[in-house]
Amino acid sequence: MNHRHLLPNEIDLLVDGEAGFGVAPLRAHIQECPECRERLEDARVVVDALESLPHFAPDSRLADRVMAQVPVFVPAHVAARDTVRRWLPQSAAARVAAIAVAGVSAFTLTIGMIWLALQGDAVVFVTGLLGDRVRTAVTSAARDLAVALLGDAALSALQGLGAVGASLLFLAFLLGAVGTIAGIRRLAVASRRA
Amino acid sequence: MPRALDLANLPDADVVALALEGREAAHRELIRRYERPVFSLVFRMVRDRELAEDLTQDTFVKVLSHLDRYRADFKFSSWLFKIANNVAIDHLRRRQLDTVSMHGSPNAVTVEAQESTRFDVADAAENALEEMEAKELGSAIERAIAQLRPEYRSCIMLRHVEGRSYEEIASTLDLPLGTVKTYIHRARHELRRALEHTRE
Repeated sequence: MNHRHLLPNEIDLLVDGEAGFGVAPLRAHIQECPECRERLEDARVVVDALESLPHFAPDSRLADRVMAQVPVFVPAHVAARDTVRRWLPQSAAARVAAIAVAGVSAFTLTIGMIWLALQGDAVVFVTGLLGDRVRTAVTSAARDLAVALLGDAALSALQGLGAVGASLLFLAFLLGAVGTIAGIRRLAVASRRA
Repeated sequence: MPRALDLANLPDADVVALALEGREAAHRELIRRYERPVFSLVFRMVRDRELAEDLTQDTFVKVLSHLDRYRADFKFSSWLFKIANNVAIDHLRRRQLDTVSMHGSPNAVTVEAQESTRFDVADAAENALEEMEAKELGSAIERAIAQLRPEYRSCIMLRHVEGRSYEEIASTLDLPLGTVKTYIHRARHELRRALEHTRE
């Protein structure tokens, strides 16, 4: 038997359950030396007591108190990603279908816009043609009405004045309308008194 | 966003990543995982429940407010314990509480407060004698821990209550590996001496 007793750090090695080349002789010594065996047992009692110590529980409101002081910030890219995810279906199959429909719709719209852009000249021509026809029809109807009311000679004189003439015509019409309405009202009031 | 049950199964690094995305549930999961170990470490360091609550709260506020500083190649729990230990040690240094009365918190000013801050740790045992011995040992070990230097206390708690390796403890406390081994060896020696009477 090796008469050198184990050093404190060697006892620690055995307590910690270390394995390795240098540990085997220590274990062999323990088998043969009651004093070192007792020292090892004392050390293990302390370690066992330490490892049996419980965890203490803090107040149940600890998390709430902590979170009241911790600023929780959602980065912009995470917020954007969350917004997109809210619009997507939950299941993978539904997501694939939604993406496929969106893709087809986008493709169709793009083709349509390109076609329209290529047909742009024809669209502009047709729109202008329709506008001309409407303007011609309205002007003709207004002229016919003015001739019926004023006669050719008066209309020709007003046309000669241009914009001033049109304004005078309109003003005359307005005054006539207001005067007529006022006269009719006076007659109605007078007839009621009578 | 993973559900609450899924969060519990995620490793720390993943929960931290979710917390950095602004998920409050991830922050709360980190608190749930480590509130007991952190509180236990701090409580055994400062020996005052109310103070330990405040220091534990400070620890989590510091950690969660600076999650962007956490490096994934370092264990989250080690980083958390490092901050908890620093918070406790800083307080002890300010208050110069290297030794603590076994009769309760030094901050306790009434009999009721002293009683509430004494350590009486219950332990399950098979018969009355063993239960009595276990209680005595349990309380004796807590009192003996209270007599240790704060640095020894941190090391012995992290080693045997939290089950950390020597290398993790050295990394957590920013100490050389040899120093950690020395502190633990001395702590065990002092605890053995303090508990000798219970071995009769």
